[in-house]
Amino acid sequence: MTTPAIELPHVSVALALRQTGALARRAVVNTLRFPQAWFPALFFPLILMTIFTGSFGAAPGRLPGFPPVRGFLDFALAGAILQGVLIGGTGAGAFFAADIEGGFLDRLVASPVSRVAILTGRLAGGIVLAVIQALLFIGIAVAFGARVQGGVLGVLIVVVLAALLAVAVGGLGVMLALRTGSAEAVQGSFPLFFALMFFSSAFFPRETMTGWFKTVADLNPISHLVEGMRDQIVVGVDWKAAGIALVIVLALGAVTVGASARALTRRIAGG
Amino acid sequence: MNEAILAEGIEREFKGGIRAVAGVDLRVETGEIYGFLGPNGAGKSTMVRILATLLRPTGGRALVAGHDVVKDAARVRRSIGVALQDAAIDPFMTGRELLRLQGVLHGLPRPEVRATAERLLDRVGLVEAADRRVGTYSGGMRRRLDLALALVHAPVVLFLDEPTTGLDPTSRVTLWEEVRRLNRESGTTVFLTTQYLEEADQLAGRVGIIDGGVIVAEGTPQSLKAAIGDPALIITPTDPDKVAAACEVIGRFGPAVSSPPGTAAVRLRDGAASVAEAVRALDQAGIATAGLDLHQPSLDDVFVAKTGRRLEGDAVEAAE
Repeated sequence: MTTPAIELPHVSVALALRQTGALARRAVVNTLRFPQAWFPALFFPLILMTIFTGSFGAAPGRLPGFPPVRGFLDFALAGAILQGVLIGGTGAGAFFAADIEGGFLDRLVASPVSRVAILTGRLAGGIVLAVIQALLFIGIAVAFGARVQGGVLGVLIVVVLAALLAVAVGGLGVMLALRTGSAEAVQGSFPLFFALMFFSSAFFPRETMTGWFKTVADLNPISHLVEGMRDQIVVGVDWKAAGIALVIVLALGAVTVGASARALTRRIAGG
Repeated sequence: MNEAILAEGIEREFKGGIRAVAGVDLRVETGEIYGFLGPNGAGKSTMVRILATLLRPTGGRALVAGHDVVKDAARVRRSIGVALQDAAIDPFMTGRELLRLQGVLHGLPRPEVRATAERLLDRVGLVEAADRRVGTYSGGMRRRLDLALALVHAPVVLFLDEPTTGLDPTSRVTLWEEVRRLNRESGTTVFLTTQYLEEADQLAGRVGIIDGGVIVAEGTPQSLKAAIGDPALIITPTDPDKVAAACEVIGRFGPAVSSPPGTAAVRLRDGAASVAEAVRALDQAGIATAGLDLHQPSLDDVFVAKTGRRLEGDAVEAAE
């Protein structure tokens, strides 16, 4: 098939922003009104955080190699936020697939909506949800005695990284949705994210790992991402760790959002 | 430019060489209601998707509201309203929220977004249900909301893909009235697809019958039916053994046509006026009749005449 010339959307930047806002609002409202969508993103990270904190509460200070932290809850918080964002991102993909299945995307595409807004609307909705989630988790952990050593600035860094991760994971979810057109297929990719997360330092420090597992965790970008968040909580504002995490999440985002934009263009053009 | 839709030799071939649309010419004047009638898989939806810029044709060209659907798709999108099969509606949003969202997406100024939503809710009779989630709506309400969503930007051409499939008769009639009113009051051109003969008959000023990706007949419902010819008279003799005799008697009034067992049928040469005469002739021949049917040609007959198959009643096809 010959690639057709990319048509310009003929939509002003101001209108595209307004459309993005409206679609983001819809994404957030849809998620909040559908408990099956937000419950897992809250429940699983919190339950894991509880289990790990209960099981390994004594690890800091007694387990050789464990980094010096105030308590395990402080340590576990970043992993919980990361996990919540991963689940939320899969949810964004599943919602997008539902839009394809149900015909909402067709309605958008057949109307003079900016093609960019179709994507940014969904991703911006993911940002809002990730920020709410990160703040909620931090609030809960602090209520149970955790402390963010980085203070307000540390919280801000964690939240920004979570928001950017939401874009990167959301981009991946949307790309999968566009490629498969099926919400089930997107949900089916979920265990992959989980594996990626468990083979990282999301829940335990790399210092206590051994052998090939440690090698995998060393190479896993998720490790550096979660450590970029965790250092703000357990150590204090740490620009170096934050910078590494930022580069990783931006690179991930560039790849996944780029891929989803291409998948969208292809779907619209090829039909 | 008087044509709302102008298509020349539109083709669409999918991967694997399936030609869903195999050379369709269309000319729909501004202000018309045009019905695209055909069975499932005839190429109706593919054609609508092409005209609504959702699918690129693999051959031919089409203008909608004067703009090329491929080269000038953005302008086409500004001119059209689209309500596709299976009302694409969020179950978790309310009718009012969805209408406002649609207004923003179309770039209406803020005050107008609200005013338009209220006006359209009123128009399709959803004011009371406006703040309920769409998930609680009936099928008819969803279709009416879907229609309202397609009208937010006052399109000049409206595409409705099987607007009443799956609706109960009452909801169907309500939707028809709404479409007629819209066409009458706003002069909106309506292009609708349907697999219901009655819908095409009731609603469309002109009908195109599509089968196997090509238009096999086109015209007003009246002219299509007239082209099929005269009404058929179907006689059920009280005594089944007299079918042949009855056939012979009524055979004087026109050529015999096929009919169910136990009946005799002819196409009345002189139209319905000769029914009385035929009955008298049967009486004189001593053939008592248990039943008498006058069958006016329907669009279904047109469909059978053009394709050799019935449009409605898959059971008939399956039985053959």
